[in-house]
Amino acid sequence: MRREFAMPDVGEGLTEAEVLTWHVARGDTVTVNQIIVEIETAKAAVELPCPFAGTVGELLAEPGQTVAVGAPIIVIETAEAGAPAAPSVAPGGAGADEEVGAKIGETGKDGRIATLVGYGPRPGSVQRRPRRSATSGAHRSGAVNGAPRGAASPAVDHPRDVATSPVAHVPLAKPPVRKLAKDLGVDLREVSGSGPGGVITRDDVEAHVTAPTAPGPVVAAPSAGGVRREPIRGVRKATAAAMVSSAFTAPHVTEFLAVDVTETMALRDRLRADREYAEVKLTPLAFVAKAVCLAARRTPEVNASWDDAAAEIVYYDRVQLGIAAATPRGLIVPKVRDADMLTLRELAVALGELTATARSGRTPPADLMGGTFTVTNVGVFGVDTGTPILNPGEAAILAVGAIKPTPWVVDGQLAVRTVCQLALSFDHRLVDGEQGSRFLADVGALLTDPGLALTW
Amino acid sequence: MAVLTMAKALNDGLRAAMERDPKVLVMGEDVGKLGGVFRVTDGLQKDFGEQRVLDTPLAESGIIGTAVGLAIRGFRPVCEIQFDGFVFPGYDQIVSQLAKLHFRSQGKVRMPVVVRIPFGGGIGAVEHHSESPEALFAHVAGLKVVACSNPVDAYWMIQQAISCDDPIIFFEPKRRYWEKAEVDLDATPLPLFASRVARAGSTLTLAGYGPVLRTCLEAATAGEADGHDLEVIDLRTLSPLDLGPVVDSVRRTGRLVVVAEAPSESSVAAEVAARVQELCFHSLEAPVIRVSGFDTPYPPSKCEEDYLPDLDRVLDAVDRSLAW
Amino acid sequence: MSDPHDWAPSTPSAPDQHPSREHVLAGLKATDEGGADLVQLLTPEGERVADPRFDQFATDLDSAALQGLYRDMVLVRRFDREGNALQRQGQLGIWVPLLGQEAAQIGAGRALQPQDMAFPSYREHGVAWTRGIDPTELLGIFRGTDHGAWDPKDARFHLYTIVIGNQCLNATGYAMGQRFESKVGEGPEAEATICFFGDGATSQGDVHEGFVWAAVYDAPVVFYFQNNQWAISEPTERQTRVPLYKRAAGYGFPGIRVDGNDVLACLAVTRWALEECRTGNGPVLVEAFTYRMDAHTTSDDPTRYRLADELELWKLKDPIERVRVNLVREHGIGQEFFSGVQAESDALAARFREYCVNMPPPAPDRMFSQVYAEGSTTVDAQRQEYLAYHESFESHGSPAVGGGR
Repeated sequence: MRREFAMPDVGEGLTEAEVLTWHVARGDTVTVNQIIVEIETAKAAVELPCPFAGTVGELLAEPGQTVAVGAPIIVIETAEAGAPAAPSVAPGGAGADEEVGAKIGETGKDGRIATLVGYGPRPGSVQRRPRRSATSGAHRSGAVNGAPRGAASPAVDHPRDVATSPVAHVPLAKPPVRKLAKDLGVDLREVSGSGPGGVITRDDVEAHVTAPTAPGPVVAAPSAGGVRREPIRGVRKATAAAMVSSAFTAPHVTEFLAVDVTETMALRDRLRADREYAEVKLTPLAFVAKAVCLAARRTPEVNASWDDAAAEIVYYDRVQLGIAAATPRGLIVPKVRDADMLTLRELAVALGELTATARSGRTPPADLMGGTFTVTNVGVFGVDTGTPILNPGEAAILAVGAIKPTPWVVDGQLAVRTVCQLALSFDHRLVDGEQGSRFLADVGALLTDPGLALTW
Repeated sequence: MAVLTMAKALNDGLRAAMERDPKVLVMGEDVGKLGGVFRVTDGLQKDFGEQRVLDTPLAESGIIGTAVGLAIRGFRPVCEIQFDGFVFPGYDQIVSQLAKLHFRSQGKVRMPVVVRIPFGGGIGAVEHHSESPEALFAHVAGLKVVACSNPVDAYWMIQQAISCDDPIIFFEPKRRYWEKAEVDLDATPLPLFASRVARAGSTLTLAGYGPVLRTCLEAATAGEADGHDLEVIDLRTLSPLDLGPVVDSVRRTGRLVVVAEAPSESSVAAEVAARVQELCFHSLEAPVIRVSGFDTPYPPSKCEEDYLPDLDRVLDAVDRSLAW
Repeated sequence: MSDPHDWAPSTPSAPDQHPSREHVLAGLKATDEGGADLVQLLTPEGERVADPRFDQFATDLDSAALQGLYRDMVLVRRFDREGNALQRQGQLGIWVPLLGQEAAQIGAGRALQPQDMAFPSYREHGVAWTRGIDPTELLGIFRGTDHGAWDPKDARFHLYTIVIGNQCLNATGYAMGQRFESKVGEGPEAEATICFFGDGATSQGDVHEGFVWAAVYDAPVVFYFQNNQWAISEPTERQTRVPLYKRAAGYGFPGIRVDGNDVLACLAVTRWALEECRTGNGPVLVEAFTYRMDAHTTSDDPTRYRLADELELWKLKDPIERVRVNLVREHGIGQEFFSGVQAESDALAARFREYCVNMPPPAPDRMFSQVYAEGSTTVDAQRQEYLAYHESFESHGSPAVGGGR
């Protein structure tokens, strides 16, 4: 059979050698270890012994020619047919592997270039070896700090258009903020940082999530899990129309206020123990509703509407308080009628009935109409705050965030207090910053110190 | 312009330095008549004589120790350690005397000594011939440590190292000795203690030195198929590190993979990772990942392809970084 | 010319007492041809010569013993040559030839008792043979599948030591242990240690320190160095002014030079030296004066630094040929014996070759094995991670499998 003998590395990392003299010619009979050729490398002139017995079939290099280590230099026709006899020279070392391995100089199944049997720097591969399916890396645990291992190319999940600006810097943010942004699906390049040197903070990311975003055609990338399409109709369609209309008609301003509601919560606990409230579900929302009604009395502009057609501002005597509720049909805003006339207990009862009805999907359409002010309780979703969009025709909307223990400075000392964030969006056409701010501050003050209500 | 192997580029660089300054000596085992086992000093003894190219007795401690004495006397010895794994008999002299004399003498004694060490694996050698001990020197105050990766740098860096008044451990990637490149002998070289962008890119930064630089460049080329545009930085100087180009790069890419043959624990790569983490904390999209040799003795050569970072391991790290 | 090494301690006013380079060279080579300073029992021409001091250590070396030594040397040389060829054919990363040093190694090795310990350098294939280590067990080192396949404690033959001279201290420590455990003295249980190194190694600090320690602790160690005249490209005069065996005097123990190409002399002198050590008179330094007839390793090219006529000169002193001549002339051994040994050596070479080319590559996690006696969490984690990585490829096996390097 035809056997090739490749130029070996005869000395610690050589890459090529020059053929000096052939001691054999085509047709000569050769024996194992017979000297067949003299070569010269950068280090030495050496004689090469033949690894096979047989007949010289072909000389593959001329004297004077420089040959890369690993390239075949001579063909020997050996006596064996088929499988090589054991004492054979196989590319890559083990004789048993010869027939399955790649031929010298060719790329093997493993993507490596099969080269010399011998030793020396292997020519650098410029191809990756194929990997098993991407998920197979999942069992590769731990070594890098819980890093996702062997995941499918992340470029699929989060397209990164790094080429748009070759000198653009990576947005500055601490790793936990990056994780938050990743979890919330926020692209940090769209967020402006408020921290020192433009570093993006946690607040920046959160604010970015809740900020009104410009509507635009959103085409979800096809995902491995498939897609579900639903016609836009019913409550969803109405909500969408209302929100778009509101967002494009009323110039929104949103203000935020963090409030220490420890006293209010203490009051709630005391009242709950009271026989009068035995049957009542007294939620924090009831206190907020009460505070809104009280504060609206001092700032009537927030309980009003802009009548564009009549070119008038309409101020309402009574507060028709809308409560945004998530229901199986979508977001609806049933109203508590004449909320400003109700006691705290009555408000609590009304809120309970209203939400129960809404959740069961039995809210009569009439209950959804004619609101003058809306409270949206984003806190029930565990969210700290948001920037609410006005219910069309109303002047303001208050978002109530999650109520939770928070470090707070009391009399110059750090203390753990129960804190809640309020966000008030108002229609800047009829509510000025001063009025909006006063209203928000009033609500905050009442929730901080419910006793203030006695003085109003 | 000349097309040179790295071995020849070093040879030409040594020759140029010896012609420029008669105080430059070459000393080591087999550096004279034989021209060194890698032929880096080929022909120098013939041209400069036995007084300037010394075939020393076979003792590394002796080579370094006498070089220290020669330096005190005003010579600029260039010592050759035959293989990385043979430097340790001389390590005492390097750490105790060579590194500290300038400090101890309050600058009255300078140590313009270069210790050349062929390092790294990939040549199928026996034990002690494939090691990457650079961290053991980078950790020693008073020494400067550099590593060349290509013939162009080799030609200039050896000359710059010889003209430096501080002791320099000069690492040469032995498996790259016979790779050729065009060397512009009239060019203005980069400073010795500077790293450099070897390939511009935007997806992720690869930093390496010595033998793996080419691996990084090959990985960058192969990575194009995966849509990656990898930047490659040749660190060149390991002590002091020149992290400017790395930091600039990471601030653009947000991701860094450091590649080296040496074991990873307490390594030069570890130092790079730590410093970049300090300097680029706000820019990092992923933790800095090291691709390195393992924390085992250098294995028998049939295992070295498992041990040495190769294109696939580099790109695996690239994938892991990008998955964050 | 007066004996160049007879100079007296110089007086300050007698600078000419300093030896010239020519003196040094002449002194180092003076015993090339034999002489008072060189123990020789068998001349290069194959004549058994009397030696009043060492004949007593060769009385049992009859025709059969001599045939055994001849066989040892032929077989060792044969697989050594096959190692060279296998490297040239790309089957070994490197080979370290012993050509020309067979007598120095077989002589020393055959002088050892089973309980003695040997510390080799990296060229001691002949000594390994005498310790019962099959030549195929050496292949892993040079093919790159392991760093030594044998159990050093079982074989009483330490692993090859590549960093020049390191083993001299290790051997001394081992010998100190033999003494601390009262294995030095009369009787069949007495032990000794032999340490092999080369002329180049004598410059290393570790060798000097080994001499100092051995002397201070009366360690039963024979420092046996083969002066093969060349430390890669550097001749002995790059290492010393005085003949190296004379250095022993400075440390306070005997040094002796033996014809390293004379297997009988090497055997007799080593027997004597080991006996000295076993009975508490160690250490001893033995210089086996020989010649490296091939390159330092297969990576070396000796034509760059030494003249061919030097090799031709030493071919006349070939260690095997002189035994063959002696067997024919003084013991009447016929061609049948020599043909038999030749056939046996060819069979050994074929087995050596076949074993070599069929050696399986190590498993991909080989490098993580046996790093520590008690394990390491770092290495364990790296092993797991690497194996998972390795598994993640479509084509199995390490990159080294099948595709070559």
